[in-house]
Amino acid sequence: MAKNRLRSVLSRVVDIKPGEEVIAIFLFLYFFFITSPYYIIKSLRNASYLSGLGDEKLPLAYFLTAILMGFIVTFHSRIQVRLPRSRLIIFSLAFFFSNIILFWWLFEQGWKWVPVAFWVWANIFAIVLVTQFWILVNDVFNPREAKRMIGFIGSGAQLGAILGGVLAGVLARKAPQLLLPLAAGMLGLGIVVVSAIFKRRGQKSEEINREARDNLVGSNKVGFRDAFETTRQSPYLLLLAGIMMATLVVSTLIDWQFNSIVSSKVEGESNLASFFGYFNAGTMFFAFLFQLLLTSPIIKAFRIRGALLFYPLILFLGTGGIGLAALAGIIPLVPAILIKASDKGLAYSLNQSVRELLYIPISPEQKYKSKIFIDMFLNRFAKGLGAIILAVLLWLVPRAPGPQGGQGAIRYISLIVLAIIAVWVFLNFRIGREYGNLVKGKLKKQYERGDLLVDQRLDVDFTKLVFDTLESKNRSSVLYSMNLFDLIRQDKLTPEVRKLISYRTDEIRAASLGGMFEQTETGLGPKTEDELSEDVLKKEVQEIMNLDVYQDVMKDYLEKTLADRSAGAEVARMEAAKAIGFMGSRAPLVGKLEDLLEDGSPEVSRYAIQSAAALKRRVDVPVLVQKLKSPALREDAMDALRKFGPRIAGTMSDYLADRGEDTELRKTAAVILASIGTQEAADYLSWELTGAGDALVNEIIDALDRIRTADSRIRFPGETIRVTISKETRLYCQDLVDLHNGSQPLEENASRRREKRLSDRLWNIFKLLGLIYPQEDMIKAYQNLKVGTKNSVAYSLELLDNILERDIRDIIFPVVEDLPLEEKVKRCRNLLAGFGGGKDRDG
Amino acid sequence: MRIEARHKNDIVIFDLEGEIKRSDITDVTLHQLVKEQLDSGKRKIILNFDAVEFIDSFGVGEILASYISTHNLGGKLKLVKISKKLFLIFQVTMLTKVLDIYEEEETALKSFF
Repeated sequence: MAKNRLRSVLSRVVDIKPGEEVIAIFLFLYFFFITSPYYIIKSLRNASYLSGLGDEKLPLAYFLTAILMGFIVTFHSRIQVRLPRSRLIIFSLAFFFSNIILFWWLFEQGWKWVPVAFWVWANIFAIVLVTQFWILVNDVFNPREAKRMIGFIGSGAQLGAILGGVLAGVLARKAPQLLLPLAAGMLGLGIVVVSAIFKRRGQKSEEINREARDNLVGSNKVGFRDAFETTRQSPYLLLLAGIMMATLVVSTLIDWQFNSIVSSKVEGESNLASFFGYFNAGTMFFAFLFQLLLTSPIIKAFRIRGALLFYPLILFLGTGGIGLAALAGIIPLVPAILIKASDKGLAYSLNQSVRELLYIPISPEQKYKSKIFIDMFLNRFAKGLGAIILAVLLWLVPRAPGPQGGQGAIRYISLIVLAIIAVWVFLNFRIGREYGNLVKGKLKKQYERGDLLVDQRLDVDFTKLVFDTLESKNRSSVLYSMNLFDLIRQDKLTPEVRKLISYRTDEIRAASLGGMFEQTETGLGPKTEDELSEDVLKKEVQEIMNLDVYQDVMKDYLEKTLADRSAGAEVARMEAAKAIGFMGSRAPLVGKLEDLLEDGSPEVSRYAIQSAAALKRRVDVPVLVQKLKSPALREDAMDALRKFGPRIAGTMSDYLADRGEDTELRKTAAVILASIGTQEAADYLSWELTGAGDALVNEIIDALDRIRTADSRIRFPGETIRVTISKETRLYCQDLVDLHNGSQPLEENASRRREKRLSDRLWNIFKLLGLIYPQEDMIKAYQNLKVGTKNSVAYSLELLDNILERDIRDIIFPVVEDLPLEEKVKRCRNLLAGFGGGKDRDG
Repeated sequence: MRIEARHKNDIVIFDLEGEIKRSDITDVTLHQLVKEQLDSGKRKIILNFDAVEFIDSFGVGEILASYISTHNLGGKLKLVKISKKLFLIFQVTMLTKVLDIYEEEETALKSFF
C-alpha cells in the first residue's frame, strides 16, 4: 500500500515501474548526501584559496590535483579489486568523513598551506565519491532503466548541491565554523543510506561486483597502467576519454574566466564564500530543475546522439558572447555568471546523465577499469591540461594592472574554448554512432529463422525428384529410368543419391537405367563395358527427342496413350508427361502437355506440371495458375511458376491484385513474387500492401521480408511501409485491448486465436521495420524481445530507440515496451484514441 | 559401319557392325537399305545390333526412320541384341514403348509368327 503510494508520487516526476521505487529513492538520497557536503566544501575551497593565494595561483591547484589523481587512481584500482563494492564505498565515505573533521581542526590552526591541501583534497573527495556512485548505478540498472531514472536519481545531486550551497551562503557570514561539521554530518547520513542500499540490493550487486572483480583480478595486472591500457585499446573508450578531456579543459578555462571576473568584482573571503555559496546553490537549483524536468525528456526525444550536442553548443554560444564582450573592452559579470551557471548546470544534469548512459553498454570489466581511469585520472588530468594552457596563456598575455586587467586573456581563452568545443562536437557525433553499434553488439541473434533455413538448406525440387524416383521404382521401369535421367540431367545423381536409390533394387533393376548405374557405380554389380558417361547420355537423349522422326514415331503412341482413360493407362500418361519435359519447347509433341496438365489424375498432372516447369512456355502459365487452387497440386504448381522467374511477375501481380480471385491463389501469387525476388516483384507486392486485407497481409509482408532477406539492394516505398506499420500496430493494439477487455472474457479458443494473431502482428511489424531499417538489427531486436529476459528486452528497446525515427518509435514503443499488461493495454487504448480508434482492415 | 543382309524365309535380318554415327556416314544408310527391302516387298525386318560398338542420335534416327517406313507399309521392324546403353536411351526416350526389342534373334524370329 505504502509502496503504491510512493510509486504514485514518484510516477509524477519519473517513469518508474513497480519494484523500482525504493532503490530509486535510496540512490537519490545517496547522491544527495555526497553532493550536499561537497558544495559546502567547494564554497570553502574556492573562498579560502582565492582570498589566500589569488586567482593567478589557480593553475597550481589544478595542476597539483591532476598529479595527485594519478596516485589516487592507482590506489583506487588496487583496493577496488580487493574489496567488495559495499565495503569499498562505505570505507571511502568513512575516510572522507574523518578527513572533514581533520580539516576543521587544520583550518583553526591558520597554516598557509591548508587552503592548497584543502583544494586538492576537495577535488579528490568529489571525484572518488561521485565515480563510486555512478559505478553502483551501472551495477544496478540496464540502459532502459537508467534512461528512465537517471533524471530523478541525478536530481538528488542538484538538490544536495542547492542545500549545500545555500547553507554555505548563509553560514559563511554568520557561523563559518559550523560549515565543516555540518558537511561531515551529511556525509555520515550518506553512510547510513549506502548501508541500506547494500543491505537491500546486496545479493545482486555483489554478484555482479564479484564477477567484475574476478575478471579484474584474473587479468593479473590491475592498476593505473591496466586501466589506461583498457581505455587505449577500445576506440569507444578512447572517444569517451576524448570527450571527457575536451569537456573538462573547456570547463577549466570557463572556470578561470568566471573566477577571474568574480574576484575582480567581489572582495573579502567571507563575501567570496557567501557569493560562491549562493551562486552554487542557484546554479544547482537550475541544474536540479533541468535534471528533473528536462534531462529525461531531452534524452527521450533527441536520443543520446542529439542530447550529447546540447551542452557543447550552449557553451559555444556563451563563450562566443564573452569573447565578443571582452573584445569590446567589457569584463561582463552577468554573462560570465550565465555561462558558468550553464556549464555547471548542464555538466551536473544533462551531460553527466548522458555520459553515464554511454558507459552502460560496455562490459563490466571494461567499465570499471576505464571508469576509474577516465572519471578519476583523466578528469583531473584534463583540468591539469587546462591549467597548463592557462599558465602558458597568462605568461604570454600577462594580466594588466587594474580590475579590467584580465580582458586580453579572457579574449584568447574564449577563442581556445571555441576551438576545443568544435573538436568536442565532432567527438560527440562519433561516439553517438559508436554507441548504437555497441548496443547492437550486445544483442545476439537468438536463432536462425526456420522458414529461411528450410529454403536455404533444402532443395525441394531435388528432394521431390528423389522421392519420385524411389516411388517410380515399383511403378514402371520407364518412369524410373526417366526420373534417374532427370537426376543426371540436373547433375544431382550424387554417390549418396545412387546409394539411396539402389537400396531395394530387386524389382526392376535389370531392365532399367537405374540398374545400369547401380551396377557400375555403386558396386552392386560388375562394371560393364556399356558404361555410359552422363554427359553423353544427356546429349544423346536431347538430340533424339528433338529429331523429327522421333516426334513422328511417338505421335501415334502419345495420342493413343492420352486417349486411354483406363485405370492401367495412368502410368503410361505419367511417362508421357515426364518425357515431354525432356523435349525442346518447340517440339511438336510438347503441345500434348496441355491435355496432360488437365488430366484427371493428380499424379499425371503433377508430372505434367514438372515438365511445364522445365519447358517454361508462357502458354502453360494460366493452367498452372489454376492449379494453385488445388490443394493436391498447389505446391507443384507454385514451384513450376517460380521457375518462370521475372517473366511472370506482372501476371502474378494481376492475380494478387484481383479481389475477385480465390484467396489461396492470391496468397500463392505473393509467395511466387517473393521467390522471383526482383525490384519489380517487390514493387508489385508493396502496391498491394496498403489495401491488403487480413486474409492476405501476412503473406504479402512475409513475401517482402523474403525479398529483403535475399537481396538487400531491393528498395521498398518508405511511406507505404510506414503506413502499414502504423496499421499493424493499431490492429495489434485493438487485439490486445479486445483480448484483455475485463467485461467480456473471451472463450478459450477465441483467446488462443487472438494470442496467435497478436504474435503474428508483432512479427509483421518487425518484418516491416526490416524493410526500411537494417534487417539484421530488426531481427535481433525482435528475437531478443521475444526471449523476454530483462536485459534482452532492455537492449532490444535501446537498439530500436537508437535506430528508429521518432514517428515510428512513438507508434511502436507502446506495443514493444516492457510494461505490465495493464499499463500496456492502457497505452494501447491511448494509441487507439490517438489514431481515432476503429478497425480499418476488412471492415 | 558395315551392314550385311540375311534372309530367313520372308524375314530380312540386317547384321550391323561397327559404329553408327553421323561422322561415319556411308554411301548407303541403314534406312535406305531397309527401304530397298521394303520396296522389294519384304515386310518383316530384324536389325541385329550384336556387333555394334557405338550408336549416336543419328543412328537412332536411322532406326526410327526405318521403323516408320516399315510401319507405314504395314510391316514389322524388330531390334535384337541391343547394348545396355542403347536400351537405357530407349527407356528414357520412351522408345521401348514403341519399338519391339528382343534379347535373342530366335525370339524375334518367332515373334513374327
